[in-house]
Amino acid sequence: MEVSCLELALEGERLCKVGDYRAGVSFFEAAIQVGTEDLQVLSAIYSQLGNAYFHLHDYAKALDFHRHDLTLTRTIGDLLGEAKASGNLGNTLKVLGRFDEAVVCCQRHLDIARDINDKVGQARALYNFGNVYHAKGKSICWSGAEPGDFPEDVMIALKKAAEYYEANLAIVKELGDRAAQGRTYGNLGNTHYLLGNFGKAVASHEQRLLIAKEFGDRSAERRAYCNLGNAFIFLGEFEVAAEHYKRSLQLARQLKDRAVEAQACYSLGNTYTLLQDYERAIDYHLKHLIIAQDLNDRIGEGRACWSLGNAHTALGNHDQAMHFAEKHLEICKETGDRSGELTARMNVSDLQTVLGLSYSTNNSTLSENKEIDYNLHGAKPRMSRRHSMENLELMKLTPDKMNVRT
Amino acid sequence: GDENPEEAKSSAVASSQIFHSDGGEMEPDTMEIKSVSEFFTKMHMGSLMSRQRG
Repeated sequence: MEVSCLELALEGERLCKVGDYRAGVSFFEAAIQVGTEDLQVLSAIYSQLGNAYFHLHDYAKALDFHRHDLTLTRTIGDLLGEAKASGNLGNTLKVLGRFDEAVVCCQRHLDIARDINDKVGQARALYNFGNVYHAKGKSICWSGAEPGDFPEDVMIALKKAAEYYEANLAIVKELGDRAAQGRTYGNLGNTHYLLGNFGKAVASHEQRLLIAKEFGDRSAERRAYCNLGNAFIFLGEFEVAAEHYKRSLQLARQLKDRAVEAQACYSLGNTYTLLQDYERAIDYHLKHLIIAQDLNDRIGEGRACWSLGNAHTALGNHDQAMHFAEKHLEICKETGDRSGELTARMNVSDLQTVLGLSYSTNNSTLSENKEIDYNLHGAKPRMSRRHSMENLELMKLTPDKMNVRT
Repeated sequence: GDENPEEAKSSAVASSQIFHSDGGEMEPDTMEIKSVSEFFTKMHMGSLMSRQRG
């Protein structure tokens, strides 16, 4: 019995709806093999193939199919179809880092939506526009700088992102679309955070949290808590940040998401370091270490060792500190992290000096070692690095400079 | 939830990758959806309507 293109496409559609994109792709490709003379059906197949490949992170193929869809919709003069194809193509180009082309697609999406007076379409195009400028801003000059202190072109892109999100919000509020408001508040919050507007970031993420709770969306709720924690760190409110990270940790555990659980533990470890509660910091960094090992995440493990080394040093536990510093060094060598390796070598050498001193000063106790750090900081200038952990300097000292904010 | 049902869970992602996703966790992308079944239903309804009228 012959299976028609339409039947194959319907099965592909069903499979994608339940999240089985791999199988969905097979059915859509089979549908194309059979072929159809109905160009609307073909457009829907191209579009869904593009989205399926997008979800499978095969962006080159997603780009191909959304392009086919765009060409087709233009050929048959299907304006609404063209708007949708432009939106999808824009999102795909954004992920590929081709922001200028993505902007053209977003504009086309927006123009058509305005022409046909489609408010929902306009809002969606504005959200995509915001996302493109947010991603562009982040891509230009990301590492090394602090939020609010990026180069001019980064700030311009981020400000544009905020404007588009605000324009989107005006429409989705008018439409009463709470789900869309939630998404926009989340991304607007992250944009304000990068712009250094931490108060506004908190206000946005609080709205996001409220909407996530309305929908019982625990995954969005967890994201909001994590993002709120990050913003409170920069407001210098470490205790508040810790409370938010703890909620984020609880939800990560409920959601059985080990990677984000590890992330929350790591953020908590860093927060307690900022609060100079090194025992708690160690507790959370150890939790992070265990998960990183379970997930076979060597880079995460290296960071955990680095953090544990610092916390133990702060407590004067130099033997433990040495253990983690050596482990950090070993992992950095393995992962080819040159700057981490340099930091680790300095730490090992510092600790060797301290441990050498402790043995030569008639078995001085660990707490006395701590005194030595302070007293001899002139002779060993690098030890001053640890004392600066008492403030936000921690973030500048982390291997990739951004750990606290993750 | 209010999110895209297709939103991927991050459990498959190593934590090291998350540590690089600096600047906060973003909301999911919204993709435009076209559907064969919807089109098919509309087409079918359309032909039924015209048959009734005729």
